[in-house]
Formats: sequence, C-alpha cells, structure tokens
Amino acid sequence: MTAKRLQIKNVSVKFGGLLALDDVSFEVDDNQLLGFIGPNGAGKTTLMRVIMGMVNPLSGTVSLNGRNITNLKSVQRIHAGVALGQQIVKPLRQMSLLDNVALASGGKKLLSPFRALMVQRRCDERELARKLLIQVGLGDHVEKLPSELPLGYLKRLEVARALALNPSLLLLDEPLAGLSKPEAEQMADLISNLPRVGLSVILIEHNLPQVQRICPTLYVQSNGRQLAFGVTNDVMADPAVRQAYLGVGV
Amino acid sequence: MLFFDLCIQGVIQGAIYALIALGLTLVYGLLRILHVAHAALFTLGGYIGVIVTNGSGSFLLALLTSMLIVGVVGMSSYTIIYKPLLNRTPLIALIASIGIFIASEELFRIFFGAYGLSYTNPPLQGQIEILSGVSLSHARILVVVLAIGLLSGVGWLAINTRVGIAARATVIDPEMAASSGINVEMIRFGSFFIGSAFAGAAGVMVSLLNNLVEPTMGAVPSYKALAIIVLGGLGSVRGALVASLALGIIESFGTIYVGHLLDRDSIAFAFLIMVLMVRPQGLLARG
Amino acid sequence: MAYEIVVLTNMAIAVLFALSLNVITGFCGQVSLGHAAFLGIGAYTSAMLSKSGVPIVITFAPAMGMAALIGLVVGVASLRVRHDFLAITTMGVVFLFTGIVRKQEILGGEIGISGIPAPDFGRVGLLATSLLCVLAYLLFTIWVRRSWAGFAFDSISEDEDTARLLGINVPKFKLFAFVVGTAGAGLAGALYAHQVRFIGPDSFGFVESISVLAMVIVGGIGSIWGVILAAAFLSALPQFFQVIDDYKLLVYGLLLFGAMRFAPEGIDGLLKKIFRRRAVK
Repeated sequence: MTAKRLQIKNVSVKFGGLLALDDVSFEVDDNQLLGFIGPNGAGKTTLMRVIMGMVNPLSGTVSLNGRNITNLKSVQRIHAGVALGQQIVKPLRQMSLLDNVALASGGKKLLSPFRALMVQRRCDERELARKLLIQVGLGDHVEKLPSELPLGYLKRLEVARALALNPSLLLLDEPLAGLSKPEAEQMADLISNLPRVGLSVILIEHNLPQVQRICPTLYVQSNGRQLAFGVTNDVMADPAVRQAYLGVGV
Repeated sequence: MLFFDLCIQGVIQGAIYALIALGLTLVYGLLRILHVAHAALFTLGGYIGVIVTNGSGSFLLALLTSMLIVGVVGMSSYTIIYKPLLNRTPLIALIASIGIFIASEELFRIFFGAYGLSYTNPPLQGQIEILSGVSLSHARILVVVLAIGLLSGVGWLAINTRVGIAARATVIDPEMAASSGINVEMIRFGSFFIGSAFAGAAGVMVSLLNNLVEPTMGAVPSYKALAIIVLGGLGSVRGALVASLALGIIESFGTIYVGHLLDRDSIAFAFLIMVLMVRPQGLLARG
Repeated sequence: MAYEIVVLTNMAIAVLFALSLNVITGFCGQVSLGHAAFLGIGAYTSAMLSKSGVPIVITFAPAMGMAALIGLVVGVASLRVRHDFLAITTMGVVFLFTGIVRKQEILGGEIGISGIPAPDFGRVGLLATSLLCVLAYLLFTIWVRRSWAGFAFDSISEDEDTARLLGINVPKFKLFAFVVGTAGAGLAGALYAHQVRFIGPDSFGFVESISVLAMVIVGGIGSIWGVILAAAFLSALPQFFQVIDDYKLLVYGLLLFGAMRFAPEGIDGLLKKIFRRRAVK
C-alpha cells in the first residue's frame, strides 16, 4: 500500500467539555483537489488547525506522505510540506508583495537564526516570488505595499505566499470569501490548476457552486463528525448532506 | 499579633493600590495604553489635599476638591497626551506618558519645593482599639472604608446603570461598542474622570498616612500600578482589584520574612513574574 | 580636554547600549522596560574581575557572556508572555536585579563597588576602546539587519502569528535577539564600569531602562542611524543643560513628550521626510 499524501485517523478534539471533532478520519490522495464543506460550527477550522499543528488532538493521528506528524510543531510541519492560506488575510504590511512571498520561500534559513545570519542574498527567492506572483495574476504589483491593494488581490497574495513554502499539501481556508463573482471565478480557476503541478489541496469553502465546479471529491463535516466523503456528485445527492448542510428536507 | 498586624498593613496598602489601579486598568481597557502619567495625578491629589486642608481646615473639603480637580486634569490628559496618538503603536503613547510624568515631578518640585509639604494639624489621628493590643488610627481605617466605598460605588454604577453597562461593553470591545451606538468618546472622558479622581483620593490618603507629600511620591505607584494591572490580567477591573489586595498582603509579609534577600519592589515583581509564568494572561482574564 | 573626552566616552557607551536594545525592541519587536539590568550585569561582572586583577579588555568577554546568559534565561521566560505583558515582565527583571544586588554583601550591597581600577591605557585609550566596541557592534547589527535574520525579524516584529505560518521558527529568532541584545548591553556595562569607576544598584534601575528605551523610540524604532543620533543627543543633553541644571529633567520630560507628540516616527521619520521633500524639489 502506498502512503497517502494526507491521512487523518480517528482524530478527536475537545474544547473545555465540548467535543469539537468526534473521531474524524479521511484521506487526501496525491494531486487531489478536495472540497471541504459543512455548516458553520461544523469544526472545519478546527480540523485545519489540527492538520497545521495549532490545535492538539485528544486522540488520533495525522500523517503526511506516510510520516506521522502528530507530534510535530506547526513550524516543523510547514517545513515538512503543509501550508495554510488563511481566511482572514494577514499580509505583512511593512513589506512589498515581493518580499512577502520571498520571505516565505526562505526555506531552511527560517528555521535557525544562525543559518539566516550567514546569508544576505535574496535574489533567488525574489525571482521565485516574482514567478509565483505572476502565476496568481499579481505580476503588475510586485513592488507595491499590501495597503495599496484591494482585498481580492490580498487573497491572491495569501495563496502565492502559501505556495512559496513549497508545500505538498495546501490548505486553503475560504479563499473565495469576500470576492466578487468574477474574482471568485478567477481564483477558483487558479486553485483548480494547482494539482497539475504536483500539489494536493484541501479547499474549505462556502461558495458551493464554485466548489462543485472545481472539486472532483468532497468531504462534508457536521457537528464535528464526518457526514459524507466521496465523489462530488454522489455526495451532493446524499440526503443526509442535503438535510444538514443545505437545510433541504427530503 | 505580628500576623494580624501584617494582614492589616497589607489590606491598607492593597486599598491604596486598588484606588490607583482602577483608573489605569480602565484606561488600558479603553485605549490599550500603559498610562504612566496616572501616577502624577496621584501626586497632584496629595498636594491638593495638604494645601486645601491647611488653608480651610476641612479635610473633607480637601478630599472632595482634590478628587474633582484631579478628575478634570485627568480628562484633559486624555485630550492632550493620548487622543492625538491613538492610531500609533502604543509604545509612542507610553513614552509620551513617561515624558509627562518626569516633567510633572519637576513641576511639583519647582512649585512646592524639593522637601515637600506636611499637614499643619494632621486630621484623623485618633486611635481606635479594634482588638486587644491592636489599635488603628482613624486615617488608616478611612483608607480602607473609602476604597471599599468608592470602588463598590463604581461597581454598582457599572452593573445597574445604562451608562455603566455601556462603559463595560466599551472596555471589553471598543469597536463593537462604537458600532452599536455607544458614545465611546464620552465613556473615555468619564473613565478618565473617575479613574483620575480615585487616584487623587489615594494621593490624599497617602499624604495623610505619611503626613507628607513630596515631588517623588508618584515614583513607586508609577511602576507598581503597571505591575498590578498586568498581574490582574490587563483590562480586567476585577483582576486589578484582586491583584492590588494580593500584592499589598504579599509585600507586607514578604518584607518581614524574605526582606533580607529581596527588597519590597523585587518581592512584588518576583511574585508578578512567577504568576505570569504560570498564567501568562494574568490572574483573571479580560471580561 | 579631559572633560570633552569624558562626555564623548559617555556618548559612545550610550550609543552602544541603545544599539543593543534596538536589536531586541527595534529589530525583533520585543519591548523591554528592563534593559538596564543587563548593563548592570556587565558592569558588575567586569568590575569584580578587574578589581581582582584581570586586565580590563579581558573582562569584556565574561561581561558579555554573563549578560547574554541571563538574557537567554529571561528570553526563555519571555517566550510565555506577549506585548504589554512582556514589557512589564522585563520591567520586573530590572527590579529583581537591583533588589538582589542591594542585598548581596559580595556585590557591595546598597553602597556598590568603588575603586574600580582605571584603565591602564588612560582616558583617551578608554574612549578609543569604546568607539571600537561601538563600531564592531554597529557593523554586526548592520549585518544582522541585511541578512535573512533581519528579514525574519521584520515579520516577527510586525506579526508573530503570521511569521510562524511563513515557516519562521519564531522562538529561536526571539532568543537570538535577546542574546545579541543583552550581550551588547553587557559590553556597554563593562565600559561604563571603567568609565565611572564606581557602580551601585541605582545606576542600573528602572529609570535607566526607560531612558534607553526612549533613545530607541526617539531615534525611530528599528532605525540604526536614528537610534545612534538619538542616543548621542539624549545622553549629552544633561551636559548642554548645565546652565539650567535645575530644570533639566523638566526639559527632558517635555522633550520626550514633544518628540512623541509631534514626531512620532522619531529622528528616522524626520530625516526621511526632509530627504523626500528634497527629492521632490
């Protein structure tokens, strides 16, 4: 059996007395784009945080490419190949877009101050950053400060910055939220292209039409439990999903 | 009776700390600023207390005048120091505040002399025996009574009046409060007034206990009060009050039992650091 | 002439001290209200050693080492607290330091240590040594700023959580800043001890911590040149004001307030404004 890109096994999380995730298991294949949906409060963000190592699960394991990463800290997981694009964009406002992305592509230099101290050259990283910014359609704005740009652009910066970490698994938390319809369409196209360059993507999104359009596979969670997992059309036809997520009676 | 004595010492010191810390924690809650110049208001309160008592012969009049004037000066400190700096990093306001505090110490010295002032006829010096062998001056009892009275008065207002509820909401989340129609600016002025007036009252009481006001009397409160509001969990009024009392008692016992190793201030800060290592958010979280 | 040399040496020491805090507060964004404790640790270490016969220059290394070691301990403790909690924790450190020193006979207690040997290379030699130390530390911090460490610090000082998500090992970088900064303060302390030749707990208290923070902020947080100018200016200020000695603290206080109120970006901001205006013309 070959190792899956990501494997979540029997993960449970408790906040106070509340069970936020209840025995959740699922997998992501290589080069797969997985849509992750569920009503508000379903524990989507909590699961993302478990994968990133920002929340410790009560039980269960998280493995990346066959390696158990449950006990790694976030920063080690990032260097092992997981990246997160946050829902609320947090660009570094004192730096140009180019430097925002270049910094993220610093690799091992970011792990140790001594290694960072040895290097002054930034041109390779800036070159890579420029390419990534062009890839997300920000090629004309590389030298600008984040404060000069609207939200739609910053959302793309967030994706470029996550890509700069050179991940094998990319988590995107509502990258379409707050975007206009054409912007959302454009962003969705961008995301749907990522698996072609060797990435697996988990896309948390409320924008169902776009999710259905670009994601071949869906994972649905409700009240901290898995509700459905499989081919998008089958999942969307599942009465339990329609009941819980869309509030549509059967 | 040493134990009992130390407890009383601690409670009195704690009451003074609490009167000072209330304003500081309100300002922090509203503006996220460490308001060092608050300690200058405490000193100002002391001076007004001595001067008015000596001039009029009435301590009550002095206390009220002091609270009123210091309250108004406190409100103007908001307009002069902090309002123009609100959208800067809080460090800027901190340094500006320290600048004002340093300058004010000098102003007190220039106006009233380096050696300070005393009461010509110190009021409230009568003693009451509260237990056999333990007696307290009226002044020391008044400190505790005043602190409890003033603080519970504010507590009552905060819980039972519309303005009080609005103020609490603003301290917890200023932006949310502003968007729900609360006049945040009025709340700020009100909080500066009350907080400063209480610091003024504390200044009057300390001047009475020591029978002395001097330009540097704000030096210790200037940093100790910061320690208290951090210990309480920044912005939490209840936390600040608990921390005031805790610090008062710990200092009073500490100086006796570990005084040969650490002085009063370092006992307080050793306690602060120990608490923060266990609870980095302070004793009581915000809210 | 002797007087000018003393003033210049004091300025050099102040500049070194301020540059060292600039690494912690300016580069890495960790506000310290207790930096004078590390000046004191360096001064006491160096003074004790040189009183027991160790040549002055040799005492520099242990002075830096001791300050950096305790700086590392404080740094580790500081990782638990953030923002204003951190500021007040570091303020606690300076009170603990002076409190402990006051009660230690071996460190001279309240009275302090006097009779610290004069440098055998004389006053001018001490000035030259101080300037060399400033230059070395300055070059090192410029290097830090331009390297990837400086790049990473930029992100940590702006937003720690985001820095983490970019793969930066934030705690390690913070500890690095603490060690570099406190070692610099230790070196400044060693020079200071031999400049004044008498040290006591009161020379390294809260007030001194505030004045060095004021230098960094008046200079413009993080700006190396602004901080140098501010430190040189603010440390020499008492000398300018000899004539109005009675009012010098009043002037100092109002100056701090005025600087923050009217030029909150510090000297760095002012210089940038002037040059930008020139460039536009």
